[in-house]
Amino acid sequence: MDIKRRNALAAGTALAAAALARPAIAQTRKFVIMSHAVHRNVSTGARGGDSTAAWRQRNNLEIEWLTFGVEAVHERLYREAQLSQGGVDMAFILERYGGPHIAPLFEDLRPYMDAAPIEKLDEISPSMLAAHTYRGKLIGIPFRHATHGFFTNNVMARERGVTQVPQSFEEVIAAADKLTYTRDGARVAGYALSMDDPSALMDIIRAHGGDFITRDYRFVADQPQAVAAIALVRDWYRRGVLPRNVMTFKTEEVITAMQQGRAALTNQPFGRIVNYNDPRGSRFPGEISVANIPMMESVAGRKGALVPAKTSVWAMAIPSNSPDKQRAWSLIRELSSVESTIRAAVNGNGPVRMSAYDDPRVRELAPYADLERRVLPTAQLTVPGFDQAGRAMDIFMEEVQKAMLGAAEPQAAMNAAKSRIEPLLPS
Amino acid sequence: MTAGAAPLTAARPAARRARRLPGGTRPGASHYALLAPAQILLVGIILLPAIYVAWMSLQKVSFGADPVFVGLENYRALLADSVFWRAAWNTFLVVNAVVYGELLLGLGLALLVSGWMPYRKIVIALLIAPYAINEVSAVAMWRFVLEPDIGMVNWAMLQIGLGQLDWSADPADALVLAALLSIWIHTPFTFLILYAALQSVPQEIKEAATVDGANAWQSFRHVTLPFILPALLVALVFRYITAMRIFSEIWLLTEGGPARMTEVLAVYLYRAAFRYHEFGLASATAFAMVLLSLAVAAPYLYAAWLKMFRHA
Repeated sequence: MDIKRRNALAAGTALAAAALARPAIAQTRKFVIMSHAVHRNVSTGARGGDSTAAWRQRNNLEIEWLTFGVEAVHERLYREAQLSQGGVDMAFILERYGGPHIAPLFEDLRPYMDAAPIEKLDEISPSMLAAHTYRGKLIGIPFRHATHGFFTNNVMARERGVTQVPQSFEEVIAAADKLTYTRDGARVAGYALSMDDPSALMDIIRAHGGDFITRDYRFVADQPQAVAAIALVRDWYRRGVLPRNVMTFKTEEVITAMQQGRAALTNQPFGRIVNYNDPRGSRFPGEISVANIPMMESVAGRKGALVPAKTSVWAMAIPSNSPDKQRAWSLIRELSSVESTIRAAVNGNGPVRMSAYDDPRVRELAPYADLERRVLPTAQLTVPGFDQAGRAMDIFMEEVQKAMLGAAEPQAAMNAAKSRIEPLLPS
Repeated sequence: MTAGAAPLTAARPAARRARRLPGGTRPGASHYALLAPAQILLVGIILLPAIYVAWMSLQKVSFGADPVFVGLENYRALLADSVFWRAAWNTFLVVNAVVYGELLLGLGLALLVSGWMPYRKIVIALLIAPYAINEVSAVAMWRFVLEPDIGMVNWAMLQIGLGQLDWSADPADALVLAALLSIWIHTPFTFLILYAALQSVPQEIKEAATVDGANAWQSFRHVTLPFILPALLVALVFRYITAMRIFSEIWLLTEGGPARMTEVLAVYLYRAAFRYHEFGLASATAFAMVLLSLAVAAPYLYAAWLKMFRHA
């Protein structure tokens, strides 16, 4: 076969291209993080700065963020973590979706901590660490919390003569009554709640001194305090203090109702103040304020006592089949450092370190910093993690809604919930 | 051929005759090889997953643990759960309302369009438009216009004295709305099948019936209906089977609420699998749905078998 100049040139070019391509192929492996989009946004946001930039440069590695909705992220993550070989290096998990049953899918982070500790771990609340600890095994380092505050539409409050921020839950009830009215031909609900899970309802139950499932896994929602709270919600629903379609309300519907002025009061995570006052979506920009949720005066014995507000805690975890566990731990250390916590808080994150609330950048951008810090030490999860938590929460909401619809009396509904939920609780 | 030979040929077993090719030859390896890809595809995407689901329905399966054989425990749990029975009952109600509602509406529209109709093509395009709309978008749109406080349709219904469709609080209203939505989305399928069938009815037979003095109803009952009956049955069975899986209308409207009173079987299955991570229970639910679908389809399949083989 003749070797022609053109053939030789083509062969040479192909070889050179292949040689050049080799390093590129070697570098195509990306560090994969599975999370909700909010984690990517607060970790890499422009306002506070990108907390992953220095780590990426040091490791000469790109990060691929696989982001999904809250429920989907856990379902996909657990499915992925079950495989003998995984493709996810690090992940973010919410305590509500955890439990001892999924702990085997993740690395115990205590040996990692011993080998290369996290900066000032004692600044992170022990209860947040406990939320991701199962039978002594720590599977997640807290990264973000979403703690509830009490929101008021000040325009409507002025219109209806609600002049002061309620100092007790009795005053909240009175304000909700006053703020149930017709405005410009449209009906305004005094109070809005998300009802796809018990998280918003928990604040009202705890304001009455009650609870749903205690930390030692006892069902207590059949006690008089919780039953009184459910009776209040039923009464609100019957009298139109809650929106007519409140039983279909998720967080998004609450946000829309508050933005459009179809509801005047609600309890939601402090960070929602940005959505409520966003001039692009809200009819009341700058007019929706947040405060702490007060307890019933008759329960606390004084005005001004705070509800142990509902909180939820996202944490960073390493799947047991993570391809690069050491790098995953190094990124967890990076993202949980004091400086990264502040940067993420400026980007809109709920900081898990108390010291972040002292930083002037955080104070400037999060006017509720003091309020949030005040309630954090007593904040409580919706329920402690256990493998049947999802089913227990669904049963609870089913019985609460039956009571609201009048299909059962509040006490009878909670008795029924008790008989169905108790067999699901860890012994 | 002798006079007695013909009955002997007719009495040959149907199965043996069915294995003959048109030329009278037996199918060889090459014929089976040509059929194999389709059969392998069916086995791969239908039979094997079905076997896997059946196997899972006998296990306790969740994340973070190996499957444990529990026999019929998942089925026992299913049958003991009042929510499952409510979901099954809701599915029965909604599916029947949807299938027969669609059939009547689809048939009516097909008859209307088959007759004299100006701008027929435009009308047909408008009628099948809902089928082109994504189900999620369709439900979101209807949910918005039927919103109890600010929905335009609900407001209009109130103004003309019809009252409101209180789908967010009244389970019956929610199921009615889900059924109406499903009918709105899927009627074009039934309409298209029946419209095509109506085009195949010979005009001369209809004319003969008219000449013989048949009125419109008699002409439809004794001429048109027998012709379109096979298509009607196909539409009925197809829609029964697909309607049995109704999910998005309910999930996007109420998520099965309030108090899980509007839950249907597919929503029950979704919760078991993706919220509670109980894949054994979810598989048992799936298998129950398969059995229900088979029960619905069985009479038609039996009739089809009789037609194809017994009289072959």
